[in-house]
Amino acid sequence: MTVSVPPSPRRLGPVNWVGLWTLYLKEVRRFAKVATQTVLAPLVTTLLFLAIFSLALGRAVDTIGGVPFLQFLAPGLVMMAMVQNAFANTSSSLLISKIQGNIVDVLMPPLSPGELTLGFAAGGVSRGLVVGVAVGLAMWLAVPFPLHHPGFVLFHAVAASLMLSLLGIVGGIWAEKFDQMAAMTNFVITPFAFLSGTFYSVERLPAVWRTAAHLNPFFYMIDGFRYGFIGHADGSLAAGLVVMTAANLALWLLAYRLFAVGYKLKA
Amino acid sequence: MSAGTAAPRRFGAVNWLGLRTLFRRELRRVLVEYRDTVLGPAVSGLLFLAVFRLALGGAEGADDGATFLQFLAPGLVIFAACQRAFETAAASLIYDKLEGILADTLMAPLTPVERTLGYAGGAAASGLVTGAVVLAAMLPFVDLPLAAPAAVLFFAVGGTLLHALLGVLVGLWAERWDHYSASLTFLVIPFAFLSGTFYSIERLPAFGQQAVTLNPVFYVIDGFRYGFIGRADGSLAVGLAVVVAVDLLLFAAAWRLFAAGYKIKP
Repeated sequence: MTVSVPPSPRRLGPVNWVGLWTLYLKEVRRFAKVATQTVLAPLVTTLLFLAIFSLALGRAVDTIGGVPFLQFLAPGLVMMAMVQNAFANTSSSLLISKIQGNIVDVLMPPLSPGELTLGFAAGGVSRGLVVGVAVGLAMWLAVPFPLHHPGFVLFHAVAASLMLSLLGIVGGIWAEKFDQMAAMTNFVITPFAFLSGTFYSVERLPAVWRTAAHLNPFFYMIDGFRYGFIGHADGSLAAGLVVMTAANLALWLLAYRLFAVGYKLKA
Repeated sequence: MSAGTAAPRRFGAVNWLGLRTLFRRELRRVLVEYRDTVLGPAVSGLLFLAVFRLALGGAEGADDGATFLQFLAPGLVIFAACQRAFETAAASLIYDKLEGILADTLMAPLTPVERTLGYAGGAAASGLVTGAVVLAAMLPFVDLPLAAPAAVLFFAVGGTLLHALLGVLVGLWAERWDHYSASLTFLVIPFAFLSGTFYSIERLPAFGQQAVTLNPVFYVIDGFRYGFIGRADGSLAVGLAVVVAVDLLLFAAAWRLFAAGYKIKP
């Protein structure tokens, strides 16, 4: 005769690993389930960009800084696809959960603000990297580009995806409606990604804008990432490492604080 | 003084009031979100302009007299207009279907032709508004001539209508939002991007040049651009015929689907 004993609460150490892993898996499965939209679509769009730019400018622009134009362009396009998707992953996940009301499923379990930040951000980074690898491979078939410094490629891929994932968390927590998110994508993320040297060397910018570019994290992520492939950078690589690390830390703290105080999440 | 029940409104062959109401609703539901639906495309258009300008730097980029930016700007304008028209029509129908409020238009005394006209007309009009705003935003940066206003008008209306009708078809067919974004990403945008929005098709390999002449979207972009810079890659007469024919064909298809109640009536 067994006596039914009520289950005792699971004991957690300093980190709720099961919870963190579960949140991460949820974030990954969320985009993997609709891979057509989340991986294939950016792949097609980015290849279209490559085709357009090579057809429109291929004749007029041979090289940038001694590098063939398409080799210059390809890493920038890969980076652009990565950051847009990393941002889309976290921001849409939080916003949709908030609007549909199932955000409580994430807020009620015993997850600390740090674990929430990490779980969401890691999901966004995963999407960024998956898209990056897919787009990168497809591009490499079309435009074989070298790989000079894999370390820089890896660092900037992860740092940039993380930065945009964190920005997506902040945006997702702040936004209350889909149009606010669309506005953020249209008026902030896309312009930054476009104007920060994906398509051209910032050396071409007027002096004021060149100075502005050197304060812009988007510029460093594209420039450093591209350096990893083609071995040519417009800006300072050391500054890039510092700026990316600092931007990530600052955004991490911000996201952490927002989760901790429950800004727009808890009544 | 009779307090009888209101008599049904009488109308002739066309329910003008109903048609106008549907048209205005379709137009307004988009324009009320003007930040995303009108200003968003304007910013994207300017971004493309800036990026190409900077990527070209001092390099020539002249295409037979017209500077590259003069060539590019009309392409971006008609692209924005057509994309808006498609999105409006498709998103409206999918939204109404998923929310279960499509009954509001299906119950109203509108014929299938009036429904097609209302949805597609409102969507095309929203595309024209968007195109006009994108054009206005570009004018300070590009010195754009106006060679043939009639061509501008014809291809703007024909092109947005084409995309609006395509949007109606996709909207009727789609059952989920995935279908909508897939049709946009894999159909509408590639067609527009590869049909000469950004480059003269003379730059394509021979095979590509031939393929493009079978593509109605190419004629829309080419004809619209001709209206500004006075130079076309393809034949204008063929373009005119193709756009009219495709518009009629799509209209007939949308009308038949509405009449049959395809995916919208049990």
